[in-house]
Amino acid sequence: MNTLRTGDAMLTDWRDSAARFEAEVGRAVIGQARAVRLITIAIFARGHVLLEGDVGVGKTTLLRAAARALGGAYERVEGTVDMMPSDLIYHTYLADDGRPRVEPGPVLRRSDDLSIFFFNEINRARPQVHALLLRLMAEGSVRAFERDYRFPHLQVFADRNRVEREETFELPAAARDRFFMEIGLEAPREASVRRDLVFEPRFHDTDALVSGLAEGVLDHAAIGGVARAIQHGIQASPEIEAYVVALWEALVRPAEAGIRLPGLDMDALVQGGASPRGVAFLVRAARVRAWLEGRDWLVPEDIRDVFQPVMAHRVFLEPVYEMRREIIVPALCRAVFETVAAP
Amino acid sequence: MRLRLDFRLCLALAVLLPAAAAAQVRAIEVRSPRAFGYFLGDLVQAQVDLVVDAGFSVQPASLPQPGPLAYWLDLRRVALNETALADGGRRIRLNLTYQNFYAALDARPLEIPGFAVTLANETAQGLTTAQAVVPGWSFTISPLREVQPTRQDDPADYMRPDGASGAIDARPMLLASGGFAAATLATLAILARDRAWPPFRPRRVRSFAVARRKLRRLKAGVGTGAAADAAYRDGLLALHRGIDTTDGRRVLADDLSAFLARHPALAPQAARLEAFFAASRLAFFGRDTAGARTLVSFAALDDTLCRLAADERRA
Repeated sequence: MNTLRTGDAMLTDWRDSAARFEAEVGRAVIGQARAVRLITIAIFARGHVLLEGDVGVGKTTLLRAAARALGGAYERVEGTVDMMPSDLIYHTYLADDGRPRVEPGPVLRRSDDLSIFFFNEINRARPQVHALLLRLMAEGSVRAFERDYRFPHLQVFADRNRVEREETFELPAAARDRFFMEIGLEAPREASVRRDLVFEPRFHDTDALVSGLAEGVLDHAAIGGVARAIQHGIQASPEIEAYVVALWEALVRPAEAGIRLPGLDMDALVQGGASPRGVAFLVRAARVRAWLEGRDWLVPEDIRDVFQPVMAHRVFLEPVYEMRREIIVPALCRAVFETVAAP
Repeated sequence: MRLRLDFRLCLALAVLLPAAAAAQVRAIEVRSPRAFGYFLGDLVQAQVDLVVDAGFSVQPASLPQPGPLAYWLDLRRVALNETALADGGRRIRLNLTYQNFYAALDARPLEIPGFAVTLANETAQGLTTAQAVVPGWSFTISPLREVQPTRQDDPADYMRPDGASGAIDARPMLLASGGFAAATLATLAILARDRAWPPFRPRRVRSFAVARRKLRRLKAGVGTGAAADAAYRDGLLALHRGIDTTDGRRVLADDLSAFLARHPALAPQAARLEAFFAASRLAFFGRDTAGARTLVSFAALDDTLCRLAADERRA
């Protein structure tokens, strides 16, 4: 039952490449197999990723490793409170001859080849910058120097430090909805992994660690086509369709689905979110997961595996519960899967 | 209280009243059932009849109040009864009940003090009042024992033996208390059942037995064709619901090992459950019911459920 159709031999080959990619990234980032798997899913679903986690757990290292293994051009900016959208597009300076120059900024410099645009500390940037990023993410194009720049292979990775709240700008709902996944990164719990991370000198020098990885394990220019093939190749039975719709309904209206969580008013818990785009992303991610598992049809486990990274950040709670969303939303997701019957 | 008075013993007193009052209070008479034969603690009845002119009535505040009158005499009750007479007058009858506490050593007369009652006649012209002075009267009290009793060696012998009391039949009371105890226990049992207190702890639902009954109704599943396939899928669903109910959550194929860890009693069926989940996956999501039926037939499904139900009973 775990076979793809013979015509999809290309997908089988790519699955091996994906496994090599995961192994390569896993050499630099140990103890984060789940995060690496989710990033692989995001890459093959052509989705933008928001990484969230504590300080120093390896968010940046993970993204740099993924960028190196993916190949293609890589640009990185640091979000700051005084950053303006033009800083991403133009670079102005005085040249050697003393005359001012305006040149394309980090986004435009290698637009055709740009595969990963890494926005560090995205919540430090102002909403104006978020707006530009939204257009970049949603449409893959930017207008500058009297012409449209297109980004056919672009994938935006952003990270957000969840500890600090001073001088930061919370991402607007529309911006969060456009991120395909929000991956929470925790420090690994395994004692052996922790020992290695602390005592092994290899992990202390991030630059050397990342440059030690094989470059371009995947052909970044071909991934778009592979992603389309995956989405067409993985079948969803009517039962899966009904299951996803039931999950969606239960997530938005938990009280009607019979979900009760202690201490919460289920009728007035979820304010909105869980958009159709979000659920479409969910199925997209689930298809990639099914492909990575070597199946050409979806099973409920595929949905469940990617549900929280894809859906949790799209659910907006009533303001009174919003401050506790880190506890409430995972509990709600768990309850949804414990309540909705799969087959 | 209506007194039956022995009028042969009555003590009648006709009092001559002053000329002015005589016009309003015609007669005052005090009667008592007997004038002697009273002991310590006895109730002494007296009936006072006042015959007055029409229109007069007693002012209640002027009546003697029940309570102690002297260290040896209490007034227990005062009852008032007024009736109109044929000659136009009015008879006011006071029934007084006294209690005597005088511990006499010899027979001697005691005087019950008299009292005054105010009578009032309220007409359009104004209020006319009159005093009726009820005279004191006496009765003779007798001692309970002799002054010089016969000498006894044992001081306790001066005491009289207690009177024999009639035996009380305790059976009805025992029966009643037994009945109430039984009723209490029955009520307690109902309450315990309602609250699921220990002996009534609800038995775990035997979800696999329920699923098996459901499967037994799907006999069509043993044949072939679209109807049989649908019945087979219903059979798979029945087992899924049985597993879900057992675990209290939805169990997917990947959760099987965790499920078995939570329910070790079902561990012997691990291989069968694994095959079932694979078949279910194929039937529902791989759109290959025929392939699923070769993997796990309807009879094998029934067998799995049968074994699960048995394990569940043993658990």
